[in-house]
Amino acid sequence: MLKHWWKILGALLVLYTLIAGFMIPLKPGIQEVTPTNAQAGDNLSLAITGYNSHFKDAKEIKAWLKYDSTHYIVGENIRDSTQTLLFVDFKIPTPLPIQNESRRMTLILTNEVDGYSLLPDAVEVVPMGIDTIMGQWGNTIGGLHEVKGTTFPYRNILYETIRNLFFHVPLWFAMIILFFFSTIYGIIYLILGNSRNDHMVLSLNQVGILYGILGLVTGAIWANWTWGEPWSGDVKQNMSAVAILVYLAYLVLRNAFDDYEQQARYSAVYNIFAFVALIPLLFVLPRLYDSLHPGNGGNPGFGGEDLDNTMRMVFYPAIIGWTLLGAWMAQLARRYMALKHAALEKDVDF
Amino acid sequence: MSILGQIRTLVAKEFLLEWRSKYALGGILLYVLSTVFIVYNGFIRVTPPEWNVLFWIITLFTSVNAVTKSFVSENGNRQLYYYSLADPIAIICSKIIYNSILLMVLNVLTYLVFGLVTDNPVRDKPLFFLAVFLGSVGMAITLTFISAIATKARNSATLMAILSFPILIPILVSLIKIAANALGIITDTSVNQDIITLLAIDAILLGMAYLLFPFLWRD
Repeated sequence: MLKHWWKILGALLVLYTLIAGFMIPLKPGIQEVTPTNAQAGDNLSLAITGYNSHFKDAKEIKAWLKYDSTHYIVGENIRDSTQTLLFVDFKIPTPLPIQNESRRMTLILTNEVDGYSLLPDAVEVVPMGIDTIMGQWGNTIGGLHEVKGTTFPYRNILYETIRNLFFHVPLWFAMIILFFFSTIYGIIYLILGNSRNDHMVLSLNQVGILYGILGLVTGAIWANWTWGEPWSGDVKQNMSAVAILVYLAYLVLRNAFDDYEQQARYSAVYNIFAFVALIPLLFVLPRLYDSLHPGNGGNPGFGGEDLDNTMRMVFYPAIIGWTLLGAWMAQLARRYMALKHAALEKDVDF
Repeated sequence: MSILGQIRTLVAKEFLLEWRSKYALGGILLYVLSTVFIVYNGFIRVTPPEWNVLFWIITLFTSVNAVTKSFVSENGNRQLYYYSLADPIAIICSKIIYNSILLMVLNVLTYLVFGLVTDNPVRDKPLFFLAVFLGSVGMAITLTFISAIATKARNSATLMAILSFPILIPILVSLIKIAANALGIITDTSVNQDIITLLAIDAILLGMAYLLFPFLWRD
């Protein structure tokens, strides 16, 4: 039992990823507001749609529209709320601090049940033709509610798909790790021989291909939601499809030999050559091109507020879990191959 | 004989063999011409971005066809004879050098014919020829090495394509980007970075071919 600790750990971590990844709720947030534009001088009645919010339960709701860091409009007459719908009036002052220029204002909402939430660029305000002095700018906000709880961050483009971070990204990391070890076993096979090492290469590659396909599928689902299309011509998407083609070619190559020793040696050589050739493909080229992925082409990396401590609490175990599970699958595949190999050598029908 | 001397002799041997079996050289030249004409007749008017991609695709297919025969056409006994005479490293190096020169000639020929029948859109000729040079070398290294693997398997010709195309994609992507600069389709200030990337890819592939070939020839 003791020597199987890593399989148990892998299975438990994947189970934990599944449960925590799906069960932990998103932080309450603001889904949308209507109307989304206003004129200076308006008495704007804003309908705010919340996500996972508890407007009805909350007693102390406050709202601001932020023009810039020293100009805020205080929301008044907060009324007619259901749990997820709220009406707030804003008297937009005129003139605007920067005249002759429209600007998108950020909505800030706070209550004691949900904590505070933001909606960037919620309302676009345009200056009025004639400037009559009316309304009041506040220059600070205060009394934001901090609510402690285990929640995932609420992001306006991602919504619930933020959970895909525990599947798409770790599957991808695990695939790279599996392919890396298959290359190492390829080198060991070339130096030491022994069909065990060759079977290790093949089984790690099989699991790697499975993970690669799963990574592409989860990525396509995510891309469909956030970028609008399952296949967005993103450089990383294309390159990972190519990486899978290389390893599928490896499987084809293996079946093109009659002699086992030749098959193992030639495919090990191709495996090493291909992995090295893939390094520029996966790690260098995507950096030279614009990608839609976070952290590429001027996009902010997935970090900071997106990857908060609750996310990390699931994300890192997920990487370890998927990798260990992959290693376990590869071990089972290798044992099956070893049995088949032994049966072939003894000329037993398998 | 030193390795360098062996390489020189072996490259000379490759040229001599090629010259004696003129039908093979003639065949690949005709392949270039007919591919260019098929593409030309299909498109008639080719815009610069299309020209760029078509050029490199023609180049890719020509290269695969030209290099496939470097190991595949020699039967096992003759290869064994070579290995008994010369260092295996000298053999792979001579084949890479010979194939690089062959691919450069074929690619320049493709450029001339394709540029003749369509409006030649290449503006920055030195940059374009640099791309052709680096591309030919990169493809020659990869394809020579892959052909050494494929020659031992069944269905060598099919295997050549499926084994080499995915590996050639990084080279092709860089080439198309550098050539797009040479054609004036895009102006990119970081074209030097692309050239360095391509050089690095070529160097890595050459290093891998050098390290791994000793495991291939023994049988």
